[in-house]
Amino acid sequence: MSPYGTPGGFGTPAGPTVFDPATLPCDDNVNAYTFCVELKGSQWFLQKGKMIAYYGSMEFNGVGHGRLDRLVRTSFHSPLHASDWVVAEGSGKMLLADRAFDVNSYDLEDGNLTIRSGNLLAFQPTLALKQSIVPGFLTLIGTGKFVAASNGPVVFMEPPIRVDPQALVGWADCPSPCHHYDHGYMTGVMGGLRALTGLGGASGEEHQFEFVGAGTVLLQSTETLLAEQATGAVPSGAGVPGAGGTHTSPSQTAGTQRLPGQLGDLQRRFGL
Amino acid sequence: MGTAGYLRCVAMFRLQGSKVLAVDMTGDAVKAKNGSMVAYDGQMAFKKMSGGGEGLRGMVTRRLTGEQMTVMEVKGHGTCWFADRASEINLVNLQGDKLYVESSNLLATDAGLRTGTSFTGMRGASQGNGLFTTTVEGHGQAAIMSDGPAVVLRVSSQYPLTVDPGAYVAHQGNLRQSFQSGVTFRTLMGEGGGEAFQIRFEGDGLVYVQPSERNTIAGDV
Amino acid sequence: MGFREINSRMVEATVVPGQKLFSQRGAMLAYKGDVSFTPNMAGGQGGIMSMIGRRVANEDTPLMAVEGSGTVLFGHGGHHVQVINLSGDTLCVEADRLLAFEGTLQQGTMFLGSQGGVMGMVRGQISGQGLFTTTLKGHGAVAVMAHGGVFEIPITPQRPVHVDPQAYVAHHGDVRNKLSTALGWRDMVGRGSGEAFQLELSGSGAVYVQASEEKL
Repeated sequence: MSPYGTPGGFGTPAGPTVFDPATLPCDDNVNAYTFCVELKGSQWFLQKGKMIAYYGSMEFNGVGHGRLDRLVRTSFHSPLHASDWVVAEGSGKMLLADRAFDVNSYDLEDGNLTIRSGNLLAFQPTLALKQSIVPGFLTLIGTGKFVAASNGPVVFMEPPIRVDPQALVGWADCPSPCHHYDHGYMTGVMGGLRALTGLGGASGEEHQFEFVGAGTVLLQSTETLLAEQATGAVPSGAGVPGAGGTHTSPSQTAGTQRLPGQLGDLQRRFGL
Repeated sequence: MGTAGYLRCVAMFRLQGSKVLAVDMTGDAVKAKNGSMVAYDGQMAFKKMSGGGEGLRGMVTRRLTGEQMTVMEVKGHGTCWFADRASEINLVNLQGDKLYVESSNLLATDAGLRTGTSFTGMRGASQGNGLFTTTVEGHGQAAIMSDGPAVVLRVSSQYPLTVDPGAYVAHQGNLRQSFQSGVTFRTLMGEGGGEAFQIRFEGDGLVYVQPSERNTIAGDV
Repeated sequence: MGFREINSRMVEATVVPGQKLFSQRGAMLAYKGDVSFTPNMAGGQGGIMSMIGRRVANEDTPLMAVEGSGTVLFGHGGHHVQVINLSGDTLCVEADRLLAFEGTLQQGTMFLGSQGGVMGMVRGQISGQGLFTTTLKGHGAVAVMAHGGVFEIPITPQRPVHVDPQAYVAHHGDVRNKLSTALGWRDMVGRGSGEAFQLELSGSGAVYVQASEEKL
C-alpha cells in the first residue's frame, strides 16, 4: 500500500490514501510513523505533544486533574512525571506520532517491559507505569497495550548480548542488565598511553550493557537519542541508585560518561 | 502512465522513493524551493524568483508578511531531482482547486500553477510561521513536504477534524478553521501549564498532517 | 560474509577468525560472541604518510578493526544504511559516510574535482565541502550511511550527471569528475557561496545521492 500519489494521476482528485474515521484502523498503525487509537468511552495515558489529530469528541486532562485521582493512583506511579502526561478520554479516533520516528504498539499479557523513558508515547490504564531502578527507564507491568517510538524499526534480540548503551530501547522479562567494560582495551601499555595522552583514539566501544538470562532485548539504530524524559528524582535513601541527584541529565542516564581517552564528537569528525 | 503530461507539455512529477522528487522536463519549467536541487542530468538553467507571489505586489506582500521562502525556476531538458533535508514528499494533483500549505512545506509546483499568500489568522501566529500561508491554485501538480509521511484525513459534514497546529501541513477544499482550546493542565503540584490550542476543521476537504510536531507556542497536547 | 540488511538503518555482519572488518568508531550497536574492537592506529592502510595526507584533507575518520568470532550489528545515528558490493571496481566515498567495510578492500584517498587543479582544491576548502574522498578497491562489501536514504543515478557517456556536493554520497565505475556550474546557478546562490558548484560526473558508472543537502 503506497500512501503516495501515482505519477500523472490526473484522473484522481488526490493520489494518496485518504482516511476518515471509518477507514482509520482501530488501535493499529496507519503507517510506520503514525498510530491510531480508538476511544469508546475508554481512557489512555499519553505523553504531552504526541497527539497530532483526532475525530470525535475527546477531552484531554493533565494527570493532576482531581477527577482522575483514582486512575492515577492505580496506574501511574511516577508522580514527578505527572506534568508530562495527559489522560485522553471520550469517543473517537486519535492519531499519535513522535517526531517522525517509527511507532509501534506492544501487547503485554501479565508481563513486564522496561523502556527508555523518552520512547514511551502512550499506554492503557490497565498497565501500571513505574520508574525503573535503572535511571532513565520506565517499567510497565500488567496486561494491556502501549505505544512506543524508536529511531528506525525496533530489532528484537535474545540474550546473551552486549549492547551499545545508546542503541538500547528496552528489555522484557528478566535478563539482568549490567555494565560491561572492555578491560583488554582499557588496561595495559596502550590503554595507559591513551588515557594519558588521548592519542591513538578510542574505539568508542569500550563500554556496553550486557544482558544474560531469559528475555528479549529491544534495539534501535541511533546515537542521537530521543530526548530523555525526566523520570523524576528518586527519593534519596541508602541503596537507591541515582538518589540524591535532582533530575538525571541525559548524558548520565544514557550511561555514556566519557572514558579516559575517549574523545568528543568534534574530534571524531576531524579524525584526531 | 501520464501520457497526458507529455501531451500537455508539462513537467512530469514522480517520486523516487519517498524523499526524492524526480521531474522529467522537455523544455518546460518548474518552480522549486531555492537550493532543493540535489542532482540533474541533461541541460538545466536556474533562475531566482522573488517568491510565491507574482510581481511587485507579491514581493511587497512577502516583505510585509515576513515569509522567507525563496523560489527558483528550473527549466531545461532532462531529469532534475529535488529533495530537502530528507523530508517526505507528497504529490498533490490540483484540478482548479486551491491548496493551502505552510510555505516552508512547499517543495515544487508546475510552473503553470499560481502561487500566492493568504491570511491564516491565528494559526500562523501560534506556529511562529507568520500570519500568512502559501496558496497554490490551478491545474497541475505540486509537491509538498512533511516530516515523516503525511496522513491525509478527509473532513466532511459528519466528520469534523481537530488537528494539532504543529502537525498541520496543508489542506485543500472548502474548509472552515476555528480554534479551540485543548488540554487543561492542572497537575498535582498545581503548576498551571495553561491551555493548548487545537485547530478544528469543518466543511468538505482534505487535511494533511505529519507524524511530527513543530515547536509551537500553542502548547502541547 | 558481507552485510545483511536488518532494516533500513541497521546491518548485521558475521565475524569469523582471520577475516577483519573495519567500522567507523561508535558504529557498533550490539554484538554476540567474542568480538574485539580496536582503534586502527595506522589510520588504515598506506602508513603514516597517507595518514598525514588525510589529516590535511580532513578526511581521516578513525576506524576500528573488528575481529573475532560472532555477529555484530552496525548502525549510526539513525541514518539510513546502504550496502554496496564491489567486485573489482573502485568506490569513491566520503570517509564520514563509511559505516563499515570488509578488510579485503584496499583503502586510498582521492580528491574530487581534480580537473579544477589548485583552484578546485581552494574551492573545496572554501566551501567546506571536503571533496577529498576515501577510495575502496577490490572485492567486498561496504556499508555507507546517508541522511534520508540514497538513490542511484546511472552515469552513461551520453548523460553526465550533476550533483549538489552536499547531497553527494558515493560513486563507482569509470567516472571522471570536475566541478562545474549550471546556467544561472551562480547568480542565484551568490558568487561567494560555496554552493555555487556542482560535481559533474561523466563516463560510465553510477552515483549515489542522498535525499538531503545535509552533511553527516
